[in-house]
Amino acid sequence: MTHPAAASQAATPPALQAIGISKAFLSGKLHTQVLENFSLRIEAGELTLISGPSGCGKSTLLAILSGLQKVDSGRVLALGSELGQLDLSALEHFRLQHTGFVFQGFNLFPALSAFEQVELPLNHMGLSRDEARARARRSLEEVGMAPRMKLRPSELSGGEKQRVAIARALAKEPELLFADEPTSALDSVNGQMIIDILHRIAHMHGTTVLCVSHDPRVVVHADRVLAMEDGRILSDRRTHVPTNDSKGT
Amino acid sequence: MVALARKTLVYEWRRFLPAMLAVGFAGLLQLLQLALVLGIFGSTSVYITGSSADVWIGYPGTQNVGSGRTIDPDVESRILMDPAVQRVEPYIWVDGDWRGPHETGGISVFVSGIDPGPGGLMFSKALLPSLRARLAEPDAVIVDRSVLDQLGVDIGETATINGHQVTVVGISSGLRALGGVNVLTSLSTARQLDGDPSDTGPTYLVAKLRDPKQADAVAARLRGDTAFGPYTTWSARDFARISVRYWMFDTGAGAGVLFLAGIVFLVGAVITSQTLIAAVNGSMREYATLNALGVGVAALRRVVLEQAFWVGALGLLGAGVLGIVLMLLAHSQDVPVVLNLPAALACVALVMGLATVSGLAAMRSLRRADPATLLR
Repeated sequence: MTHPAAASQAATPPALQAIGISKAFLSGKLHTQVLENFSLRIEAGELTLISGPSGCGKSTLLAILSGLQKVDSGRVLALGSELGQLDLSALEHFRLQHTGFVFQGFNLFPALSAFEQVELPLNHMGLSRDEARARARRSLEEVGMAPRMKLRPSELSGGEKQRVAIARALAKEPELLFADEPTSALDSVNGQMIIDILHRIAHMHGTTVLCVSHDPRVVVHADRVLAMEDGRILSDRRTHVPTNDSKGT
Repeated sequence: MVALARKTLVYEWRRFLPAMLAVGFAGLLQLLQLALVLGIFGSTSVYITGSSADVWIGYPGTQNVGSGRTIDPDVESRILMDPAVQRVEPYIWVDGDWRGPHETGGISVFVSGIDPGPGGLMFSKALLPSLRARLAEPDAVIVDRSVLDQLGVDIGETATINGHQVTVVGISSGLRALGGVNVLTSLSTARQLDGDPSDTGPTYLVAKLRDPKQADAVAARLRGDTAFGPYTTWSARDFARISVRYWMFDTGAGAGVLFLAGIVFLVGAVITSQTLIAAVNGSMREYATLNALGVGVAALRRVVLEQAFWVGALGLLGAGVLGIVLMLLAHSQDVPVVLNLPAALACVALVMGLATVSGLAAMRSLRRADPATLLR
């Protein structure tokens, strides 16, 4: 599947690429083909939004592009690596080095402070203690949570928890950031703040942000919006000039 | 490194409390059972452990102290011929029927005939010299404090053993017997109490060596000579072990201990693993998120195992404190409880094994921490 908008960027390699992928699920005797011979390019340093009704396959697509799920057929390239070739531990290592995740539920450990939530994954990246702590502090500052970093999740609001979750993903300094309905559990003010942060991450850090959402507010801020239905892309449009603009810097 | 396992344990202690209690009580139950069994069955070798003899000489095939047969009295001279031997004395065991002055019915007693002299080996660790010297009087006996009510006598009173009148001249402590009552008397009184005219020699000869460390070697050297009729030898430690083992295993008590240990282990492991599994399930989404961020399953498993370890360690601590209190209480009430290092280590191993098995079971439920499930 090619798109007129993407054609102009063919010279630079995409951050993510799906080539003819198919994925089906078997629940009981029911065989559901979610994606069939599906191809897509996601450009680096952009906030790309995939929207569509529930069950359209957008979450499955996100799981596949992020290496959380295997495809039945086809190839997935992430930062030039073919994910299908990697075994479980190599995939874990790939995710550890290159990807961040933000989920709809914030999934924070109740026992840890905001600072520790962010520091924990960094401990596993082979960073020194000081480096991990410096990164955790920086990233909490970036999402405006530095003053509340000693607090546990029970003492934080929903928006604050999601900002901590974003800081946790961001502190890894990933090239790829995946977000699944990051605003759906939040009110409009907090939702807007999360969208702003994601947008800023894409533009300031050059991070490729792939967001799945049906929140109309996100649409306005995305560099590129893919509308999906029944495992197919219905429309693919850009809301900004397709370069790393200077808005956030 | 963020101490996820410990912080979660502290913050959500209520969630882990059932596991700690299960581990603690499993440990306590096992500890007290073992202490009680060691205490009770340890008393079956009190004749050996309460005496200062290094080598025991008895009838071949004797399975415990209480089931000895008489040996030829001339064996004594054979033993004395060995240069390592410093002193030999006879020990006579007589099964008796006690009839007290009050209404107690017949009571089965184990009469120990010992040398009451000041250098006597038998019960030298259990009797004060002044007390044992009283046995030199004819028909004098010493009974244990713990069985006074059972025998229906007090010091100075008389009773009969096998129809022969005896007088209680002293009261000992710590000489409980299993399946009967110990009565101490002199060798000459014991011979009179023995109703079997064919018993001419002693039941045992006990020997003190110049160097107690050579007990095994001397026992081996003295064995196998049949010129004086059948006899065999044991080092005191071996004979005590044989006696305790006989009671532990040939009476089925040991099997009972092992059976209960198995039950305790099983019940403890079921409760502990269920609690840990619930704790893992409670944090499943958080674990899955960590895995999505690239933290390996192996690292997550370590967190669960570490939690199991702390649950085991804390349960053990509680069991240890409570166990010491209960042991002291038991001691003050003359309940025979004995705990040695191997037994305590066995309990520690059981409890930590239980915690580990539970941790491994909980680790399995981590398989459900599939980050792809977070995207639905």
